Amino acid sequence: MALIDDSAIRSELNDIADYIQSLRREISALQANDLRNRRIPAAGHELAAIVTATEQASNTIMECAEAAIAADLPDLAAYKAFIAERMTIVFEACAFQDITGQRVAKVVETLEHIETRVSRFADATGAKDASGPASDKEAAEVERKLRLFIHGPPLAGDGAGQGEIDKIIEDEAKSATQDDIDGLFA
Amino acid sequence: MSADISMPILIVDDYKTMIRIIRNLLKQLGFEDVDEAADGSEALNKMRGRKYGLVISDWNMEPMTGYELLKEVRSDPSLGKTPFIMVTAESKTENVVAAKKAGVNNYIVKPFNAQTLKSKIDAVFAS
Repeated sequence: MALIDDSAIRSELNDIADYIQSLRREISALQANDLRNRRIPAAGHELAAIVTATEQASNTIMECAEAAIAADLPDLAAYKAFIAERMTIVFEACAFQDITGQRVAKVVETLEHIETRVSRFADATGAKDASGPASDKEAAEVERKLRLFIHGPPLAGDGAGQGEIDKIIEDEAKSATQDDIDGLFA
Repeated sequence: MSADISMPILIVDDYKTMIRIIRNLLKQLGFEDVDEAADGSEALNKMRGRKYGLVISDWNMEPMTGYELLKEVRSDPSLGKTPFIMVTAESKTENVVAAKKAGVNNYIVKPFNAQTLKSKIDAVFAS
């Protein structure tokens, strides 16, 4: 019968206890509840406000453009005054850009805050990434995007330009062979 | 052959602002009879109730995308010949190739201008 080495077991248990303590510190440092309850919802509200502001500005600018196009004033002075008034409204509407820029900065700050904490947690725990989606819902969305070619707007230089698209559409012969299609992806 | 300016046109987009932009550009080109739908399924319903001379559709919409709408339209004998222009920010080559294989008549990448819209409509009705 082998002798049980109490000191070795104690040492192992101490190491495990230290690791659990360290893990608890790192989990606490993540501030997951603060992220979930405050920072992420706040970032969501900022993004929603950006969408609303850009939509309002676009509508105001389009209303001015529509009014200018439809303007039918008999004398030139009245017409010029009308157009000047509408253009002033356009200038005012463009102020949205400053406010939305500040809102974007707040969202970026939140993303950096999350990145810092997640990076620290991953480093401290030696976390390895599991492959695949995190839920059935996420898996379904990934599958839908792949099947329906949904990528969203590309960054500058990432997508095809109108000229390249025109070539694909206009060149009827291109639809004939796989080699031609493969050439488009080369 | 050029486009008949009295033909009804259906714009399909989930952004009201984009619909308004396209509607205004079409108005400048002389097209006054313009309907709108917020996604592919609403568009399909409208197309089954009225014959449109042209469909101008976004790609990325829910629940039914413009790509799915295009394939539905092309597989329906009563709608299959409706001219269809995709207007979208989806500008990957694979999107253009997929749309072309599905039977799109032309493809415009956002953002675009009035001249591009005009030239693509002209091209569709010249061919």
